[in-house]
Amino acid sequence: MQLNPTEISDLIKKRIEGFDTDAEARTEGTIVSIMDGIVRIHGLSDVMSGEMIEFSNGSYGLALNLERDSVGAVVLGDYKGMSEGDTAKCTGRILDVPVGPELMGRVVNSLGAPIDGKGPVDTKEMNPIERQAPGVIERKSVDEPMETGIKALDSMVPVGRGQRELIIGDRQTGKTAIAIDAIINQKGKGVKCIYVAIGQKASSVAGIVRKLEEYGAMDYTIVVAANASDPASMQYLAPYAGCAMGEYFRDNGEDALIIYDDLTKQAWAYRQVSLLLRRPPGREAYPGDVFFLHSRLLERSSRVNAEYVERYTKGRVKGKTGSLTAYPIIETQEGDVSAFVPTNVISITDGQIFLDTDLFNSGNRPAIDAGLSVSRVGGAAQTKVIKKLGGGIRLDLAQYRELAAFSQFASDLDEGTRKQLERGERVTALMTQKQYTPLKTGELAFTLFAANEGFIDDVEVANVGNFESAMLAYVRSEKSDFLDSLNESGDFSDEIAAEMKSTLEDFKSKGAW
Amino acid sequence: MSELTTAARPYARAVFEMANEAGGLAKWSELLAFMGAVASNEEVQTLLANPKMAKQVGADAFIKLCDKKLDDKAENLVKMLAENDRLSLLPEMSVIYETLKDEAEGSVEALVTAAKKLTQAEEKSIAAALKKRLGRDVKLKVSVDESLLGGAIIRAGDLVMDGSLKGRLNKMTNVMSH
Repeated sequence: MQLNPTEISDLIKKRIEGFDTDAEARTEGTIVSIMDGIVRIHGLSDVMSGEMIEFSNGSYGLALNLERDSVGAVVLGDYKGMSEGDTAKCTGRILDVPVGPELMGRVVNSLGAPIDGKGPVDTKEMNPIERQAPGVIERKSVDEPMETGIKALDSMVPVGRGQRELIIGDRQTGKTAIAIDAIINQKGKGVKCIYVAIGQKASSVAGIVRKLEEYGAMDYTIVVAANASDPASMQYLAPYAGCAMGEYFRDNGEDALIIYDDLTKQAWAYRQVSLLLRRPPGREAYPGDVFFLHSRLLERSSRVNAEYVERYTKGRVKGKTGSLTAYPIIETQEGDVSAFVPTNVISITDGQIFLDTDLFNSGNRPAIDAGLSVSRVGGAAQTKVIKKLGGGIRLDLAQYRELAAFSQFASDLDEGTRKQLERGERVTALMTQKQYTPLKTGELAFTLFAANEGFIDDVEVANVGNFESAMLAYVRSEKSDFLDSLNESGDFSDEIAAEMKSTLEDFKSKGAW
Repeated sequence: MSELTTAARPYARAVFEMANEAGGLAKWSELLAFMGAVASNEEVQTLLANPKMAKQVGADAFIKLCDKKLDDKAENLVKMLAENDRLSLLPEMSVIYETLKDEAEGSVEALVTAAKKLTQAEEKSIAAALKKRLGRDVKLKVSVDESLLGGAIIRAGDLVMDGSLKGRLNKMTNVMSH
């Protein structure tokens, strides 16, 4: 006979000793109707909005609609076996989830319960899933970079710790790949990661967890999964649960990164819940508060100042700022960014990374559209060296796009135009990057330097990738100390430029690529 | 159920206010309970639900059924209810009326379900404890349910105090299994 991990005598003894035998006084109601995961309850006169409701079969619900004679609630979990006339009890608890470093390396559901079969999680704290975002006074401006290790992103659309950067694109354009690379790149940087999977196939989530484990990224990552087969209520709540877990690190003076993959599906789940609760539908049948649904979530990603952290931790952590950076993901249909949810989230976030199907299919991966992708504050948070060297890349690419479209009709081009076209082709080739190969600051600096100083101008387009990997291998082996110091400081000066230049000249003179 | 309450509330409130002003709270309480009992009779319900019957005929039939126990005002209430097709709300109205009356009189009804028959002294001590907790006079209604095994469950409105052995065992089962 199989025993559960919870069935150890000591544990059972502790539980019996801690079991509170007092009579409980609770407000009770009766289930009037139950359909599609929505329960109407008669009674429950003292229920609070957002309160957890306990049903007689042991599952929980969340009170969403408080009406004069009835309460509309969603069932969190299984609603089979519940029937009309069953009792429903108030719990007096606003919905909360366990938080803390104990969750790292685990896969949990929207209620924070582990679903990875590794036994119970011993967390010490619980936080409500809906919390007010930090106010104006408690914030600090963004000035530290959140490096993704992706060349095109760190040079052209940089993101600072505490920002919200949207990843938007059609299906199969590599949105999740960017997010996973960003998580892998946080290894050894002290950034805690939370990956929230909403409405995805369980097999995809399992694949992602396996990849993260393979690259040693699960040690600092929490995965919150509400799969496609989970009830809509769980899918709707997953981002808030993940955010509460991320806020714990922010409030304790640490840096955290959260990925919501993806908010389109969460909006769908919320639309389902809202329509079943008979809330009036608006544009695209979304309820009236679908903007607030996302704005209150993303507003919680922020950088907070040391006073806030000190006050929150009651003086335990002093002089440290905290941050929660968010990468929400939105899936568009046929590149339609003017649909309701994409426009909402674009206007809420600090910028977007736009992924294009055509670019993806023509082999430019990550398929980032340099013209449409922006970061509104990111520049202030770039390391000095990337800021200095990355400026030219964006311009080169933008000019190249324009000229490439124009020159399709021109038969012969003047020298300047041809040079720009050739350069653009090479920079585009240089910006392609394989999945799971994030670059460090110093390596990125060398790559950008090579492009800026014309070291790749005489390399064939097809060979740019080989040139780059050979160059980085050379730098890693010959100049490892210099590279380490560059990774560490991110500084840039004339001496550093001269050192980089001589290194690259040495490498080119060898001609080994 | 909740829809019925919503519809019945304005009628019950109107009757209550009228009775309160005229000083006939107890009389109306009886009247409504009686009419509610008549209206919840299955045959009466079938009759009232018959779409072929004119509204006025339904009202007259209902008044006749009540066998001259109704005064003018009560007859008017029945006629008005029939006109709005709300005669079926009478049982609900009676319940709401009682809560309004209890509220006005500062008392509350508490249902006590005990595992075994309570002694007079026990009933008194429960009533005294509830009075202290709810801040109102308590009317106890006691029933016995042996399946509770021990202790008692007290219900006052939506508030439920579960002090039964069965409830504790259930709670313990939940704690152990999660």
